[in-house]
Amino acid sequence: MAWRIEKRTLSGERAPWWVFPAALFFAVFVGALIFIGLGVNPLEAYAAMLKGSVGSFFHFSEVVVRAIPLILTGLAVAMAATMLLWNIGCEGQLVWGGICAAGTGLFLAPHLPPFLVIPVTIVAGAGGGALWALIPGLLKAFLNVNEILTSLLLNYIAIIFMEHLYFGPWRNPEGFGFPGTAQISDLARIPHFLGTRIHLGLVLALVLAALIYGGLRYTRWGYRVRAIGLNPRAAGYAGFSIRRQIVGVMLLSGALAGIAGMAEVSGIHFRLQQGLAVGYGYDGIIVAWLARLNPLAVPLAALLLGALIVGGEQLQSLLHLPASISMVLEAVLLFGLLLSETLARYRLVRRPDAPDRSAAKKETAP
Amino acid sequence: MTASPPPALALDNISKRFGDVVANQAISWSLQAGRIYALLGENGAGKSTLMSILSGRYQPDEGTIRLNGRPVRFQSPAQALEQGVGMVYQRFMLVEPLTVTENILLRRGPVSLARSRESRALRELAERYGLAVNPDATVRDLSMGERQRVEILKLLHRQADILIFDEPTAVLTQTESESLFAILRRLKTEGKTVIFITHKLEEVMAVADDIAVMRRGRMVSQLAADKVRSQHDLARLMVGREVILNVDKPPVTIGAPVLTVRGLTGPGGTARPSFRNINFDVRQGEVFTLTGVAGNGQEDLVAALAGITSLAEGSVTFKARRYSAAGWRNRPAAGMAYIPEDRDRVGSIAAFTLVENFLLTRLAEGKQSPLLNWPQVADETANAVKRFAIRGSGIQGLAGHLSGGNLQKLILAREFSRKPDLLIAEQPTQGLDVQATEDVWQALLRQRETSAILLVTGDLKEALSLSDRIGVMFRGEILDIVSARDTADIDRIKLLMAGLGAR
Repeated sequence: MAWRIEKRTLSGERAPWWVFPAALFFAVFVGALIFIGLGVNPLEAYAAMLKGSVGSFFHFSEVVVRAIPLILTGLAVAMAATMLLWNIGCEGQLVWGGICAAGTGLFLAPHLPPFLVIPVTIVAGAGGGALWALIPGLLKAFLNVNEILTSLLLNYIAIIFMEHLYFGPWRNPEGFGFPGTAQISDLARIPHFLGTRIHLGLVLALVLAALIYGGLRYTRWGYRVRAIGLNPRAAGYAGFSIRRQIVGVMLLSGALAGIAGMAEVSGIHFRLQQGLAVGYGYDGIIVAWLARLNPLAVPLAALLLGALIVGGEQLQSLLHLPASISMVLEAVLLFGLLLSETLARYRLVRRPDAPDRSAAKKETAP
Repeated sequence: MTASPPPALALDNISKRFGDVVANQAISWSLQAGRIYALLGENGAGKSTLMSILSGRYQPDEGTIRLNGRPVRFQSPAQALEQGVGMVYQRFMLVEPLTVTENILLRRGPVSLARSRESRALRELAERYGLAVNPDATVRDLSMGERQRVEILKLLHRQADILIFDEPTAVLTQTESESLFAILRRLKTEGKTVIFITHKLEEVMAVADDIAVMRRGRMVSQLAADKVRSQHDLARLMVGREVILNVDKPPVTIGAPVLTVRGLTGPGGTARPSFRNINFDVRQGEVFTLTGVAGNGQEDLVAALAGITSLAEGSVTFKARRYSAAGWRNRPAAGMAYIPEDRDRVGSIAAFTLVENFLLTRLAEGKQSPLLNWPQVADETANAVKRFAIRGSGIQGLAGHLSGGNLQKLILAREFSRKPDLLIAEQPTQGLDVQATEDVWQALLRQRETSAILLVTGDLKEALSLSDRIGVMFRGEILDIVSARDTADIDRIKLLMAGLGAR
């Protein structure tokens, strides 16, 4: 008897249940090694992280606050990846959502009927992100330019443009020279809940997650998106316009990231300033993958990553570890997931006998 | 028993199955050094499988391969090449931005610093075999003929003694083909064993010493080339005396033409279009078949008729509406259904359930509300599963888990449910077992009552069993259209397929 590793052939089969626990275990284990390397007792470190993230209502509310943009960017990445598009540009789209929300709150709000200010802000944020994502979308659909590169590079342009605004034309004249715009109108601030920093963005994010989940399963549009993602040739045979879907999905993906930026500006910062582009766009990639592209699992994955980020900040202040420790832990978690997913794609099979011997046996037969 | 040396290559009772399909059955073949062997057979006769076994891509289920009398077993093409068996594929395996020398040395890992010495050695090797190719040229800049010579050089550099060519002239011009034959003869005088797969009978007559013919997975004939008097003999050997299965063919009244094509020519650009001046019509209640050896333009013609690729010239009249060559692709999709050749990767989505697959080509039907009516689709799927006896793990199982026959039945049921006026079925039973083939045939024959059917098949038995009329394609043109009822005509089909016997 010989054992052999064989690749599972069919895509689209559910991964076994153990993939996620295995990834988590891997992350905790490798994380512990890193803590030991840094001269910290891993038990102490994990305890600090747990206490700092779920140890009290206040701490947990901060985790939720971080999870809000992560849900939205996670949905944005998952949405695009469902159709095999890699939107690495959520960071830039988030920035544009923020720019448009800030612009609305600063300049447009005074001229609008009060009840319209928040809806207009939301639409502006979504529109800003969508238009920024339209660029890689059109390039991909009509010129087949790789969207990974274009969407990624556009991030830097968006960030620099935002800096130009708050260092230059939009800078607060009464800001004592600090970079940043003035505070947006009170009317443009989205409501908060339970006396915490948790804001309306949470409701938006959860509703959108449910809508996308349902949309993919129960609408004609969603059927086309899934079909193209699973088998573009069959989708072409069925007569679906792949170009149109690419543009549409990129618009939607950008709009989701734009809403994340809008919610950060209108719910947390109340102005455009440094600290908007802190990597939620890139974290969205991890969230989407942790959620296995399932929109309903995205909020849970975002909470996990939010806890990791908030817990990591505790390590920094309590144990004086470098600030980048939470990014390292995020990376370890992603690697753990990729590793266990890869393993799940193979299985052990038994082969009846070794090949050479069977040939020899036949040779000696009369 | 003679004391002659063992054959350079001997196959002994080689069998290979893929699921239920027997691709090779008990094949024995013995080949001597210094001879050129032609391997003939229709599509799906098992030639490619056999050569893949020889070159290490597949492992046989049964049987032994012997090299110079010694049993061998290859786990990979690399192992086969190590033992001296190499293959030149139809699609060349070359890295285009690299030079000829780099391509040849590639499999050895990092290219050595003494590259000039290596390319001198290659130049000598090339000269010895008459392979005119510059070792320092970049592969991207080479013609197809030159690329093929690089592939040959690659094998010779690895000291291959047995060289297998899969339809080597398919990509070559006439002159390039002739110089390939010169190279093959040179290889032979150097004591190599050459095997080439081909459909072209004149090539066999021109260059082969020995001929082996496969049919339906079996080796049906082996003979010396000088025993063959004419290409007609070969054509008969290749296709055989087909017995028409007793398919119950209910009579259907044949009506007016549903599809009429006139002067259809494919886009060619600078090259020859893959089909030219095609004229035929398909009438209500009729099965009209296009047949021919693979690569004679049928595939491209169907793709253009199905609206997947474009047409250059001619006109198509469908349901009494005339379309220009350019207008055909943008016509409304209704009224036509297409069963593509590749049911796994084009006709269905493996990771979708049966229900989801049942919707694939029908999304544009009915009222276009944004929401899908899944319960209704599930009902329709359940009915189709019952009516067509599709066996699988239920309608919510994945299509990728169905066997080929059951998947094809699902696709048929889906396309039939669109109530098409014209059904195009491309190689609908390729790779299916006997039972599934009969099921598919019966279903197609029943469908004649409501649709005109354009069948495209390389399987003559299928063509004869189902068709009313058969158009035979050769080199992009329909040589003749014959009646499937006329026995004298049936004999001519085989000749037409080989490009002979046109009136």
